[in-house]
Amino acid sequence: MEYLNLFIKSIFVDNMIFAFFLGMCSFLAVSKNVKTAAGLGLAVIFVLGITLPLNYLLYEYILKPGALAWLNPSYASVDLSFLSYIVFIATIATFTQIVEMAVEKFAPGLYNSLGIFLPLIAVNCAILGGSLFMKERAYETLGEAFTFGLGSGVGWFLAIVCMAAIREKLAYSKIPAGLKGLGISFIITGLMGIAFMSFMGIQL
Amino acid sequence: MNTNSNVYTVIYTTILVVIVAAILAFAASALKSRQQANADLAKMKTIMMAANMGQNPDGSVDKSADFMKLYNDHITNAFVVDAEGNVVEGVDAFKDIDLKSQFSALKKGQEVKLPVYECTMDDGRKVNILAMYGAGLWGAIWGYVAVEDDNETVAGAIFDHASETPGLGAKIAEPPFYTQFRGKKLSDAGQFSSVKVIKGGANGSENGVDAISGATMTSKAVSASLEQWLGAYKAFLTGRPAAKECCGACEGDSEKECCCSENCEGECDNEPVNTEKDE
Amino acid sequence: MNKDIYTKPFFLTNPITVLVLGICSSLAVTVQLKGALVMALSVTIVTACSSLILSLLRNTIPNRVRIIVQLVVVAMFVILIDQFLQAFAYDTSKMLSVYIGLIITNCIIMGRIEAFALGNKPWPSFVDGACNGLGYGMILIIVAFFRELLGSGTLFGFQVIPASWYMENGGWYMNNGLMILPPMALILLGCVVWIQRSIQKELQEK
Repeated sequence: MEYLNLFIKSIFVDNMIFAFFLGMCSFLAVSKNVKTAAGLGLAVIFVLGITLPLNYLLYEYILKPGALAWLNPSYASVDLSFLSYIVFIATIATFTQIVEMAVEKFAPGLYNSLGIFLPLIAVNCAILGGSLFMKERAYETLGEAFTFGLGSGVGWFLAIVCMAAIREKLAYSKIPAGLKGLGISFIITGLMGIAFMSFMGIQL
Repeated sequence: MNTNSNVYTVIYTTILVVIVAAILAFAASALKSRQQANADLAKMKTIMMAANMGQNPDGSVDKSADFMKLYNDHITNAFVVDAEGNVVEGVDAFKDIDLKSQFSALKKGQEVKLPVYECTMDDGRKVNILAMYGAGLWGAIWGYVAVEDDNETVAGAIFDHASETPGLGAKIAEPPFYTQFRGKKLSDAGQFSSVKVIKGGANGSENGVDAISGATMTSKAVSASLEQWLGAYKAFLTGRPAAKECCGACEGDSEKECCCSENCEGECDNEPVNTEKDE
Repeated sequence: MNKDIYTKPFFLTNPITVLVLGICSSLAVTVQLKGALVMALSVTIVTACSSLILSLLRNTIPNRVRIIVQLVVVAMFVILIDQFLQAFAYDTSKMLSVYIGLIITNCIIMGRIEAFALGNKPWPSFVDGACNGLGYGMILIIVAFFRELLGSGTLFGFQVIPASWYMENGGWYMNNGLMILPPMALILLGCVVWIQRSIQKELQEK
């Protein structure tokens, strides 16, 4: 039950886009049509779902103050947490690079639809943001970290697909010249954010 | 030179990583003591604010106050108690207790170590400052509650938060909210009870304060965390074990205190401490 | 080196309103001017310094690990800033929490490194990085100015709207609670883009 709550909470209440604006760059750049948006969304779910548990393990057993005690009790005072940003981003970058190479080699079909987004994802704030939030909120088990990662990914997927669907329709609308494109996208994202705020009242 | 060969790539990245790690380790260790001092000072500030010290008359922070001096002058004793109210030896309340990890222990029903700071006020009165930590709407919330030596009246309280909404939930850290706690009672119709944050207004209730309008979730979180932590401190405050610890097994007995002292075996063997306070 | 490099990042190629880079880590810090200012300065320092370093290294970086090398250098500067803030501006560092770390993935930095620093000499790269950082900071401060003024009635934490105007003191004024909620940052940003594009018509999209 706890996991289900966390999952729903990370999709709707703590939505990466609408509550924290993470991953806005690719959200605005790749939301012009639903198909590519869905491709990028899937890649984000995948990468978040894997890198979050990885970073959780790294943080819990290497970086956290006193985390090295399992190696030798005399290391209990070592605090490497100042390295966490660099380790998190290195994990993410390496992982996306490896996955890109693997997908290209073994599944060329998938690579054509999904692989091109992988390099973009290394610098997607939602991915690093997920890891930083995990550290900040101190999730306690590997399962929680995984659930949070997956939920955040699904939330991001949902947001970008909704946005792409709206923008496809917008192409046929009459919009003041200065507001076309970027301006109206900002405002629509803002309005969707206000709509998503209604989820905040849910008791989970 | 071929910058694309494997050997070059590996050597290049190794050297880069070593240099970066060295710079960072140097910076981190050079700044460590200063960062620690900042964190300690921030903690002393919240503790002293709970006892209404270093404040302007309206409860806002007095920017000229020297909180380290206030802390050293007024905190005459700091110790750690467990959920049975017994003092835990060999633990430094200020340095060793991490509220975040105690909070997760509390949630899981594991053994907790609760810090208590005994503060001697300017008029010689002694108040106990108790800690609180919980999950707000967006991130952590924490605070301290100062309790008079009758163990029932709240002398003052202070709250802080990691990332509540500015202008809404963030108002828990502002004087109009936390000054409300002064003089409230930790009791409800003779029974021990936490101070409650009541939506729609407390209407002068003895153990209730007004919630922040527009910030229902944060107000609820404060109320729930207070209940959880003061519940853990209950044994220390009232001088007898918390009711649910020992009375769960004694069904059908309406007199809970009697149940605690007479009928329950095992868990209640330890003599309640501070019985003289239990009036 | 011509003067375009100094002026363009503020208007014609402003990283936020034209290139759409670096929105991620920024909007949540625009509730108050103080946070926005610290964020703007941090991003400027990181962009300028990492552009400089990577421009110096540009001929030695193995192509296959290019992205990782860039990220490591950027992350190093971000950690340094984070450590300094914790040591010298503790309250601000608490307020910005994870958003300092998110500077690493601020697209402006990677964007300027890829597009400019890797193909240009160190000094122009440094200037380009700094000006882009400042162009970004300018937008951040505009948004934060309106959000803090209308949302809390303060600027840099000082009350600027007279207390006697407020309804609870018998006046007629009330702070706009909507302004402090996250989505308003985006809507304000949309308005900034609208105004800019109404003036600079060549930027309008078809």
